[in-house]
Amino acid sequence: MKRYLGQVWAIAAKDLRIEMRTKERFAAMSAFVVLVSVLFYYAVDWTILSPQDVSSALIWMIVILAGLLGLGRTFELEKEDGAMEGLLVAPVPRDALFLGKVLANSLLLAAVEIIAVMAVSLFFQVDFSQNWLAFAVVLAVGTIGFVSLGTLLGGITAGTRMGETLLPILLFPVLVPLVVFGASSTASLLAGFPPAVVFGSLRIIAAFSLINLVAGMGLFRFIVEE
Amino acid sequence: MSLRAIRRGALILGFLGIGLTLVFHWMVFFWVSTEATLGISQRIFYIHVAGMWTGLLAFIMVAVCSVMYLWLRDDRLDQIGQAAAEGGLVFFAVGLTAGPLWARLAWGTWWTWEPRLTLSLLAFFIYIGYLMVRGATENRERGKMFAAVIGVVGAINIPLIHVSVLWFRSLHPEPVVARQEGPALPADMLVTMLTAVLAWTVLLFALILLRYGAARLETRAEARALQRGATA
Repeated sequence: MKRYLGQVWAIAAKDLRIEMRTKERFAAMSAFVVLVSVLFYYAVDWTILSPQDVSSALIWMIVILAGLLGLGRTFELEKEDGAMEGLLVAPVPRDALFLGKVLANSLLLAAVEIIAVMAVSLFFQVDFSQNWLAFAVVLAVGTIGFVSLGTLLGGITAGTRMGETLLPILLFPVLVPLVVFGASSTASLLAGFPPAVVFGSLRIIAAFSLINLVAGMGLFRFIVEE
Repeated sequence: MSLRAIRRGALILGFLGIGLTLVFHWMVFFWVSTEATLGISQRIFYIHVAGMWTGLLAFIMVAVCSVMYLWLRDDRLDQIGQAAAEGGLVFFAVGLTAGPLWARLAWGTWWTWEPRLTLSLLAFFIYIGYLMVRGATENRERGKMFAAVIGVVGAINIPLIHVSVLWFRSLHPEPVVARQEGPALPADMLVTMLTAVLAWTVLLFALILLRYGAARLETRAEARALQRGATA
């Protein structure tokens, strides 16, 4: 077990180290998050809607779109110099490889989510301070499911001619449960309801994340096979 | 199954399916009695239900074939899965077109975010993805694997999507046939509906057999071309 976790961490650390040195995906995703918030601001007539009402939806949509941007490139790292082959001959089980990738991507997306929350609270004067812990838990648990699906399906689209163009078509239909329960629970939390009201939704989000994480671990071996 | 048997089966089922389709259209337009409250628009129901039911059956076949393909790696399972996905999309497209036509008359709107509508639309796109991935992959073997993985991911997530869209309250009519107390439809409507479902199920299997036969021919032609290349 300890050895397995060590392998998972080795893969995640490798990806995170590359990201720390190039800052490619983080920079692109953060810039995207800020810019898309600006566009959203001008796309809505704020005399009709109040920012507080749409902030929850905004956060989820921004995170999903930014995630799409980053997850599509998960396997770009491995395209050069036969790095994928190197990774596959490493004495690491395929599911550990997948978990490592998911871990690295989740941490990256979590950093981007912090930027997104900051951008929305700055540009739209939305107050995230009440229930911030419960809010973070809902977002974090949902992120694991989103990243699990995105990493698995991103691995598929990276192997096709269409590449990242195909990813939203595969990913968006299966994200509906996450958006339904995620956006509604963060909306209640931002509206000031006690965290207890979202326990039911959080359980479903957790089930969604766990099911897709386990499915990804089982299915990943089939998509990296030559 | 030999290619000849596949072709013969496809032809027989195809003619039977087309014949039954003509019969049930005649029943829908001229024979079945008009429903009292909904009036003439209720006749769309037979086409809608038959389309959705047949599409659903096809998508269940895709899920089963995907799991079995990942397990057994038999090309025939992949070919049946692909054929079923294509057939399912045809019938789902019919059902998804007939549904809004009826909804406009009965509910006064073309589209509502009703759970079963939403789920059907999303399932439609999952299986479009299933076919697109296969077409966009250069390495044929990897394409089959990718498609099967999407088939499994879709099958795992469809129940979850179902639960989440059910969370919003439902407007869709409750089941009228598959109930514990027995069907609630008058006899002539039930007969029409069952004929419609039977007709398109037969037609689905005819399409699957045709498509499967074509896929088998393709592999055979490829193998021959390879052989010729090797000897030349």
